[in-house]
Amino acid sequence: MADTLPRTRFNPWPATVFTVLCVLAVLFLLPTVGVLLSSIKTTREISMGQLWSAPASLFLGNFTEVLGNPAVHRYFLNTLLVTLPATAVSITLGALAGYVFAKLPFRGSNALFLVIVAGMFFPPQVILVPLFRLFNGLGLIDTLWPVIIVHSALGLPICVLMMRNFFATVPNALREAAIMEGASEWQVLTRVVLPLSLPALAVLATLQFTWIWNDFLWPLIFTQSDTKRTIMIGIVNLKGQYSVAWGVQGALSLVASLPTLLVFLFFQRFFIKGMTMGAVKG
Amino acid sequence: MEQHNRFWRIALLSLPLGVFGLFVIWPLFSSFYYSFTNWNGFDANYSYVGFDNFAKIATDRLFLQAAVNTTIWMIAAIVLPTALGLMLALLLDSRVAGARVFKSIFYLPICLSAVIVGQIWTWIYQPDWGLLNTVITQATGEKFKYAWLAKPDTALWSVIVAWSWQQTGLSMVIYLAGLTAIPGDLLEVCEIEGASPWQRFRRVVLPLLAPSTVVVVALSVINSLKGFDILYIMTGGGPFNSSDTLAMHMYNESFKKYLMGYGSAISVVLFLIALAIIGLYFRQLRKVDRIYG
Amino acid sequence: MAQLQLSDLRKSFGQTDVIRGLNLDIADGEFVVFVGPSGCGKSTTLRMIAGLEDASAGAILLDGADVTRARPADRGIAMVFQSYALFPHLTVADNIGFGLQLQKLDRATIAARVADVAETLHLTPLLGRYPRELSGGQRQRVAIGRAIIRNPKVFLFDEPLSNLDAALRVQMRLEIARLHHRLGATMVYVTHDQVEAMTLADRIVVFNDGRIEQVGSPMELYDHPANRFVAGFIGAPSMNFLPLRRAEGRAESPGMAPAPLPPGKETATELGIRPEHLALATGTTGDLTGEIELIERLGAETYAYVRVPGQPADLTLRLPGDTTLRPGTPVTLTIDWPRARWFSSDGRVL
Repeated sequence: MADTLPRTRFNPWPATVFTVLCVLAVLFLLPTVGVLLSSIKTTREISMGQLWSAPASLFLGNFTEVLGNPAVHRYFLNTLLVTLPATAVSITLGALAGYVFAKLPFRGSNALFLVIVAGMFFPPQVILVPLFRLFNGLGLIDTLWPVIIVHSALGLPICVLMMRNFFATVPNALREAAIMEGASEWQVLTRVVLPLSLPALAVLATLQFTWIWNDFLWPLIFTQSDTKRTIMIGIVNLKGQYSVAWGVQGALSLVASLPTLLVFLFFQRFFIKGMTMGAVKG
Repeated sequence: MEQHNRFWRIALLSLPLGVFGLFVIWPLFSSFYYSFTNWNGFDANYSYVGFDNFAKIATDRLFLQAAVNTTIWMIAAIVLPTALGLMLALLLDSRVAGARVFKSIFYLPICLSAVIVGQIWTWIYQPDWGLLNTVITQATGEKFKYAWLAKPDTALWSVIVAWSWQQTGLSMVIYLAGLTAIPGDLLEVCEIEGASPWQRFRRVVLPLLAPSTVVVVALSVINSLKGFDILYIMTGGGPFNSSDTLAMHMYNESFKKYLMGYGSAISVVLFLIALAIIGLYFRQLRKVDRIYG
Repeated sequence: MAQLQLSDLRKSFGQTDVIRGLNLDIADGEFVVFVGPSGCGKSTTLRMIAGLEDASAGAILLDGADVTRARPADRGIAMVFQSYALFPHLTVADNIGFGLQLQKLDRATIAARVADVAETLHLTPLLGRYPRELSGGQRQRVAIGRAIIRNPKVFLFDEPLSNLDAALRVQMRLEIARLHHRLGATMVYVTHDQVEAMTLADRIVVFNDGRIEQVGSPMELYDHPANRFVAGFIGAPSMNFLPLRRAEGRAESPGMAPAPLPPGKETATELGIRPEHLALATGTTGDLTGEIELIERLGAETYAYVRVPGQPADLTLRLPGDTTLRPGTPVTLTIDWPRARWFSSDGRVL
């Protein structure tokens, strides 16, 4: 290919772009690298001002401290107990509603769809107080239930939006063919439309998992005792215990971010697609 | 068929709509209700106070401060990540080597929790050994010690920088998607017509990115209205409320001072602001839609 | 097998009437083609027969039983869609056996019947493939396979050939005709292509604007169209229409020698002549004079478009393939008067 092209003068542009990008990339990575470095250094090293120098030796004490802390185990378990069901429920509900909006539209269904999607844009603070009162009345404050429920409900706008948009790309003739063959609407959804929507499901699962795992506000409002806290609140709580143990805090941050980082690494494609899809169609 | 459709609509919609109605729509309207009461969050007894809470907002110095901060925060949150994201997208779009790796690097912060981002940047601003002071010390040669987050002058802006660091990747991918959507033949037309790279950007690429810009700006505004976690972690709204935003203020009044009625009134104002912005957004979107379908 | 009866079938979307009262009897084993321009209601009618669309009024009877409100699957009807509607995530075998799987038949039965159907349609080597890995014609056959496996009473085809290229379309047309021969099943076929209609149908139903214009065998429609719409729609190239003015019992038209009005045609306002019923005059006298504007050679035959001064449109004339005429040649044409059709002002044939 290169041989067939006429030789052109040296073009400085790509090299310049590359250099600029490298500089920016280093700047962007620095904060993350700082945490990485802190996690393998002793508190003494850090407070001596040696955080940003290359590590002389690999110190794993911070990680053993974090991973050996039963509170951390509890936080992790709680976060999983919130994230997994809330992700599953919000996607399921999104698929149910999205199917109706895409395949069984009715008079006013577009307006209803817009009302649900608009929910994505409102600050959650708007419904904070009534929800607190509601769950307080139900005696569910300081359990994981309100967090799971609220995440399932607040995940609906994005889930409904994406499922509807994806379902809309499945040809109507497929639904009709299945119905001619004797499928019920439920069978159309589970045997035809959903199997064809695996990419959308992957996108949503990635997004929802990350958002719910990373959330801070709802567990802050609805849980109080240490045994009910999720990992993001836990990090803040442990700040007191490890007040100047910077290295431990760094290791803790890394461990807490690990699930979302792994999801990001493996499902990067879906993640970015989800972000742009949700955004552009919004 | 229609009868069958009606049955399935109800069957499939009742659960999602029930959940959404009970836990989103109903609380939204309840907020309006509570904003006219003096409920403290615990007592069963509370009374109707009319527009007292809203009158209080008008004279609340802290609310005014939070409103000003939210405005600053919003404008900065629009300008910084949008401009930076557009620049990165343009650089990456030129088929540079390792574009995928660069993209991941710039995008990585988005998948971090605001708590983690807050913590990372708290360290960067740390007075004794933080990166920022270390760099300044090395550059100037004399010991530099400044508590960025503890000074009213710099607290808000320090958080804005951290926020922009996290949000830029989002603008970047949206702009990248917009750039790939520009048909190649349009750029070839520029080539044939002899447009300079700047002319091509200014007259063709930028206008064609308008839909992406609408999305990026809208997202920035919406996300910044929600701005809470990172402030809570980095400054808690302090020092002396210098980095308080409306969302932060609402939380403090409701859950620190237990003035839930007053907090609800603030949230109603927040809702109305969001509503106005969404209205503007949809209007703009319709305009863009007319051109770009 | 079954006979199908539509009785005063109507459909409206809101205020718009799409189907304005259809009455039609389709006999057992008959191949009926619905034909008409797009938006004429032929597809909507087919979808009402299938049960995918509710009838607003009227009844659909299958073997005398009213199925107007029955669910699609309970009607014993199979349908082949324009896009084939094959499930992309299922293999050919699973696509064909989809309906049987929904009926919860046991695996062995399903496999046996799928193998049977695949055999007759020459799909056996393709059973493990996915739709994306098939050619257009193969997809078409899978769609037919999915239809015949349930032994339906009636087959519905919704423009099944319109996604195929020209050569394949002819081949699949023959295949569908063969299928009808072998199964002897009642088939209803929708198309906007009148060639498909002419070649496949036992009877053609011409739709226009939500109504049936005429029902009849292909040659009936061709030779004895009931009205101007059918006359113009059936036949390619289509019939020539000449506006008429009546003067003293004779018909006049621009460029045409005045002709006597036959008895019963006194109120005619338009004359219709098919391209093959126009001929070049051998002598100097003829019915029409004009000039050849364009020549279209198809090989076996040639169409000449003749400009007659004063006529609203060029007249199409069918000539032998080896004609030596060229554009610009002045010509005189004679009309095969007994085969000409006379239309009244409301479009009826007189």
